[in-house]
Amino acid sequence: MTATTLRRLIVIGLIVLWEMLPRMGLIPELFLPSLSSTLIAGWSDAAEYGHALAVTLYEVAISMAFACGGGILLGAVVGSLPRPRILIMPMVSSLYAVPLVILYPVFTVWLGIGSESKIAFASIYGFLPTMLATAAGIQTIDPQLLLAARSMGATLSQRLVRVIIPAAIPTVLSGLRVGGALVIVGVVVSEMLISSAGIGYLISRYRTILDSPHVFAGVLLVLAMAIAFNAGIKWIERKAAIWQTGSRAGQRAADELTAGAIQPAT
Amino acid sequence: MQPLANITPLKPAGAIEVRNVGQIFKTTSQDVVALQDVSLDVKPGRFVVLVGPSGCGKSTLLMMMAGLRQQTSGTITISGAPILEPDPNRVGVVFQEASLFPWLTAEENVEFPLALRRVSKDERRAKAQDALKLVGLEGFGKRHPHELSGGMKQRVSIARGLVQDPPVLLMDEPFAALDEQTRMTMGDELLRIWAATGKTVVFVTHSLTEAVYLADEVIVMSPRPGRIVDHLQVSLPRPRTYEMLSGDAFGRMRDRIWQHIRKSA
Repeated sequence: MTATTLRRLIVIGLIVLWEMLPRMGLIPELFLPSLSSTLIAGWSDAAEYGHALAVTLYEVAISMAFACGGGILLGAVVGSLPRPRILIMPMVSSLYAVPLVILYPVFTVWLGIGSESKIAFASIYGFLPTMLATAAGIQTIDPQLLLAARSMGATLSQRLVRVIIPAAIPTVLSGLRVGGALVIVGVVVSEMLISSAGIGYLISRYRTILDSPHVFAGVLLVLAMAIAFNAGIKWIERKAAIWQTGSRAGQRAADELTAGAIQPAT
Repeated sequence: MQPLANITPLKPAGAIEVRNVGQIFKTTSQDVVALQDVSLDVKPGRFVVLVGPSGCGKSTLLMMMAGLRQQTSGTITISGAPILEPDPNRVGVVFQEASLFPWLTAEENVEFPLALRRVSKDERRAKAQDALKLVGLEGFGKRHPHELSGGMKQRVSIARGLVQDPPVLLMDEPFAALDEQTRMTMGDELLRIWAATGKTVVFVTHSLTEAVYLADEVIVMSPRPGRIVDHLQVSLPRPRTYEMLSGDAFGRMRDRIWQHIRKSA
């Protein structure tokens, strides 16, 4: 049996258990409602969930653009120029260790409890790993490649476009994966804390009235979102791998990020 | 009457002149003299090898010939004009690690210097094919560097150095990372390519055997401050063969270089 089929069997087994255990009364429905009652709860309030999903997706998309765009841009500057690196890197590294969620109440004071505060929080949350990975990716480019390009008469801009960017792509992608996942976490968590819309808000509201099927319906949606994001990143990686074909650095980076790089949730 | 070419007395393409070159590295605590008053003439088409202990500045000298580093004093001219910056039309460079771009195929790697000058796609392809054929890699153009052996990668790297047909090829320990057998084969291959193209080659190595086996002339350098301590003419006939390695003449030359290096080590 291959690893893939085994993995599929495990997932199927978990789904069956999710349905069976609550049904057989081994787990109270309050702790874990059965899969079918979760789906029914979600379906019967499809409009409500659909609206919440739209709000969350909107927040995720905007934050993703800020976090990834800004992270790559600033990471490229910091990675290639020593002076900003000396100034910024120590700050960024220590900021990375701070649980940023403590900033969220401040954002709600500044920006209100609507989407803006979520976007601000999630953007900063996803920005840091993207920037750090991009900076690292650019710093770890083999200096011999740049020397070789220079010996062939490459100008600074040619070196940037033809050497630095393609060489940095694998590490940047690994940063995007972590940063993008944190954006989703940031949006959902901030919705759960203080808000009036979104999936996080629904989960949090149904929890206070102990409506477990509706809570789990929201959890399922977040899960689906994370899986879709993951699939999207994999697709981009495959595209990049075709361009980048077989770069060992690319493969290593891809392995590293599937193997670990799991971030603390909040 | 000869046309204009006679009025400016051009040095023949491929001649290298190094005049009183010095290099001082400034560090915070002290100034390190890496090279001191190095002068050297390489005639077109010659195969010259630089040897010397680590830190003698032989690679530094090569990088200055390539225009990748500026000397503190003195001048270097190639084909009659000073080298102030990298000039791929005059000088091709081959590095120790083949330094191929892993995201490009062998063919695209060889085309890279042409692509920088916006040479048309067809011309690029044609020149890259010729260069790959010259180094014995016909049919491997579509492979990526990770699909090639160490020796093949260096062949691609040599093809890349030759693709613009510069009169001078500079090689910085190109075979140092290869295993012994591959290294021997690549040495013979390089001599074949050199004989076929008539390039001036300056080759840096740690290996005394490699130096004597490949060279017309061996330049021996001393450690800091780097200076030329000996300049041998290798009188062995060409083509060089494996049997020569065990001959007396070969041994004497190898020995003479070793005496210099041992003294300074």
